[in-house]
Amino acid sequence: MSKKPAAGPALHKVIMVGSGGVGKSALTLQFMYDEFVEDYEPTKADSYRKKVVLDGEEVQIDILDTAGQEDYAAIRDNYFRSGEGFLCVFSITDDESFQSTMEFREQILRVKNDESIPFLLVGNKCDLNEKRKVPLSECQGRAQQWQVPYVETSAKTRENVDKVFFDLMREIRSRKTEDSKTTSGRAKDKCKRRKIKCTIL
Amino acid sequence: MAPQPVVTGLSPKEGPPGTRVTIRGEFLGARAQDLVGLTICGTDCLLSAEWKSPNKIIARTGPGKGKGNIIVTTASGGIGTSTVQFLAYHETIGPLKECAVWIEENPSQNLSWGRRTHTSTVYTQEDPLGLSIEGNEQKIPGDLRDLFPDCSGDLSQPNFSPAWFLLENHLSTSFEDLRAGLSYLKRKVEYQKEGQLSFLKSNAGSVIDQLDTLMTIKEKLEEDLKVAGPEPLKKVEDSIQKSITESRNIFNDVLERKEKADSTRAALFALSRHKFLFCLSNSVDRSAAAGDYDVVVNDYSRAKNLFGKTDIPIFKKVMEEVDNRVLNIRKQLFEKVTKMPQSVEQQKKLVKALISLESQQIATSVGEKLRLTDPAWSAIDARAKYLESTFKQTFDQYTTKDGNQDKSKTRYDPNLQPNRAAFCEEICEIAASQLPDLWRLGQSYFTGELRGVNDPKPGDFKRIVLTSIDKFCTYLRVAILILSDQRALRQTTGLSWAVGSNSLAQQFMVWIPQCLRYIRIAYATLIHLDLPSEALDIIQKLIDEVRLFSFNIIFKRAIDKVKKMTEKENWIMGVEDFPGATLLPSALEEIIVETLEEGQNACMNPEIREGNLLEPQSEGQREVSQRLQDMLHAFCGVIEKLAQTQDDENHTPIVSQLLGFPNTSGLERGSSMSWEQRILCCLANCSYCHKIFFTHIGTVFVKYGYPLPKLAIETSRITINQLFMNLLEEYVEHKNDPLVGTVEPSMYLGNFTWESNVQLGKLRPYAQECIDNLVGVYSEIYTISPALLRPVLEPIVQTVAEELARLMSCVQNFSFTGGIQGNLDIKMIRDSMRLYSNETAKNFFCEAIEAIPQLTAEQSKKVDELLEQVKEDMKLQTLCFKIQNP
Repeated sequence: MSKKPAAGPALHKVIMVGSGGVGKSALTLQFMYDEFVEDYEPTKADSYRKKVVLDGEEVQIDILDTAGQEDYAAIRDNYFRSGEGFLCVFSITDDESFQSTMEFREQILRVKNDESIPFLLVGNKCDLNEKRKVPLSECQGRAQQWQVPYVETSAKTRENVDKVFFDLMREIRSRKTEDSKTTSGRAKDKCKRRKIKCTIL
Repeated sequence: MAPQPVVTGLSPKEGPPGTRVTIRGEFLGARAQDLVGLTICGTDCLLSAEWKSPNKIIARTGPGKGKGNIIVTTASGGIGTSTVQFLAYHETIGPLKECAVWIEENPSQNLSWGRRTHTSTVYTQEDPLGLSIEGNEQKIPGDLRDLFPDCSGDLSQPNFSPAWFLLENHLSTSFEDLRAGLSYLKRKVEYQKEGQLSFLKSNAGSVIDQLDTLMTIKEKLEEDLKVAGPEPLKKVEDSIQKSITESRNIFNDVLERKEKADSTRAALFALSRHKFLFCLSNSVDRSAAAGDYDVVVNDYSRAKNLFGKTDIPIFKKVMEEVDNRVLNIRKQLFEKVTKMPQSVEQQKKLVKALISLESQQIATSVGEKLRLTDPAWSAIDARAKYLESTFKQTFDQYTTKDGNQDKSKTRYDPNLQPNRAAFCEEICEIAASQLPDLWRLGQSYFTGELRGVNDPKPGDFKRIVLTSIDKFCTYLRVAILILSDQRALRQTTGLSWAVGSNSLAQQFMVWIPQCLRYIRIAYATLIHLDLPSEALDIIQKLIDEVRLFSFNIIFKRAIDKVKKMTEKENWIMGVEDFPGATLLPSALEEIIVETLEEGQNACMNPEIREGNLLEPQSEGQREVSQRLQDMLHAFCGVIEKLAQTQDDENHTPIVSQLLGFPNTSGLERGSSMSWEQRILCCLANCSYCHKIFFTHIGTVFVKYGYPLPKLAIETSRITINQLFMNLLEEYVEHKNDPLVGTVEPSMYLGNFTWESNVQLGKLRPYAQECIDNLVGVYSEIYTISPALLRPVLEPIVQTVAEELARLMSCVQNFSFTGGIQGNLDIKMIRDSMRLYSNETAKNFFCEAIEAIPQLTAEQSKKVDELLEQVKEDMKLQTLCFKIQNP
């Protein structure tokens, strides 16, 4: 039935998280197809995969665009589990979305059980700076607190769109090479993770 | 071929059948029609697919289940691939569950009592654990197939995996519930085991039915086995297979035939559509043979437009063939163009066809094979050559004919046109018909109508026209101007036409005005053509020459006529105001008038675009003057000749002599006149001509539009005057000799001497005779022309006086009476002739008187008396001399 993805290029799985309407799908579509979708249609769960060149190396990026709405909160865990890196998106014009990043962060950490999972805090809609509700300092403060990079983007003007995806992929890649070096650590990790999973069950 | 379609994005990536999915990717079809296939998880979803852009398709998923690729197929890119998968799952929909799509529900209750008669294909089993799965939405993320390969969650499948089933359906069921479910399942199994009998009992009817049915089936089977052998199905299978192959064969056959028919039809259609082209090579030949070159040109250009740049080999081949045919046609055309004779229109048509064909072929490879320089020019050249050769041929034809005729010396009808004239007529006709053709052809060539790619050569054409006209004129000159310097002509032109016998030439002379007419007709035709004046001037020069020549001929003929006028003199003195002049001058005038009229009609009157021949100081005028002079000179000759014709037989001197008689007058002998009378007539004519007639001729010339030939008239007057003097002298001499000769013998007749005594009383007979003779002469002259009296009588009187003076001086002695008598005689003569005596005569008279010794007074008195008496006696005789102006 389904073909296994080609063994050649490395596959980096990225998951978009964030509240509804902050522009996860817009960022994804801008990155994937250079298009900006004006009309809003709530996402359930979209999947994108394409080949990109990361620092001269051909890799595949798999983007899982998740639903931001609370209705789907229950199924998020399942999604998060497969993710290797996360873009946590909020809108700088919407303070609520900024606040909910906390919940997403917590959920991710809980599912992945890893403090240093590749993670980027993304403040979207930076083209609407005049409608900014979330001060930059606050955003940067939170990123510092989490020890993650903070990037402001605009899906509309494509500002920093490529940057956030490529930065995240670089983190994922360095993380993977780290893992393969310390095989023992990895095994330990795996055990740990399974163990945790079991406890949850 | 466009690249393969690739699906790289799905929104959403999972859902129940009928989910609206946005598919994103690359090369998903250039347009809506390009999208020819779409499968999601193995089910065809093309029907619901909505093509948005090459990157986006919206579709609804089909009834597939599980995870699967999205395969987009496009006409341009073929079958595509997918980097993302769609997960299709079936949601169980209960009465309380809202659902976005229509899902066939389970029959919530069994409506039919008794056994179930049917099983739905989409039958969803009841949960075997007896638990509601409604509201159980928690799903296992990822793929269960990854966890349980070669297993299935479907209860009815042999590879059923309970773990899968549980994970799939009871993920969120609590452990207690699961346990309860297990006991339920156990119970159910137990129940089924224990209750087999009761089950049979309760379903006895249907079991028996089943048994019956089974029995019937068995019986039937056995029957079939008997009939059809151990494997009845095989036969059926075979025949089915056979019919399938058969039908396929039939279908293939039909298909094949249909394809064949289609291809044949297509070929026929193509043929008929391009029939034009395929028939072209032959039709072009046919049209060319029929002379429809326009059709050829049209067809060819049409074919060139349609197929000239075709890449299809068959068309190329046909076009090549057509090109070659056209090339041949062009060759033929070129030959035809230069072939003479033919009409200009025809030639034009050919040239036009040639030019258009050539221009169409110019770029092709075939066109390089035959490059015509300039068909129109060739046509002109051919025409000019033909014209020249026609001239030459005609000329040769007539010269030979003429030569033969000359040799054979056959006398032919003078009314028949001589060869030269016939030649003139023909050559003029040729020129009048062919030169315009040539010119028109040239005109249309230069106006661009017939011009091909080459530039015209105006200088050459002009030269050709001029040469042709020049040739034409040369031939005419050779033929017509037979009296001019033929040798010079031969040297310049290389042509000659032997003049032949004189009679032939004479015969031809008459025809010259006719020839002039022919030339003029041709000339008029050419004038209408707007030829360059240089060309026309050539002909005009010829015409002038011929006119002059013709004029000369007319005058020559007139002169000949004048020369023959001697025969015409009838000696009738019909000139009223000039007695003695005959009708001869008027006859001359008639001839002159006639000549002038003829000349006027034939050649002098200038026609269109001709010069006046008689411009002052021109050759024409000189010629006219010369001719007139010649004519008048001839006339003088005529008069002279007339005066000198003496018919000796009838010659009788009118002067009476005392010695012999009779004094017969010529007039008495009927109408014929004596020589004396004739010479007097001639003298009168001369005088008439000198004084009146020649001047009159001048006015006649002026009247007929000729210039006044003053010089000729003056010269002629001098000539005629000279003639007059000569004739007069002759006449006077003729009269003098007998008259004077008789004086001396008569004086001394009868041994008379002046010494002797003379009986006085009347004149001596000699004096008497002398006066009588003078009277005779007088009367003779008077009857013819009184005007001649003085010029004739004066010299006679003078001679008489001289003779008297001589005789008197010879006398030695006069007697008394002799002196009286002598004085009387002389005085008598002197007095009677006083009017006709000039000074010399008077002197001679005086001398004669003085020769007689001085008379005494008595003698003188006697003389006077006697003189009175004698005068009285001779009054009647001498009366005639007294008239001052008779």
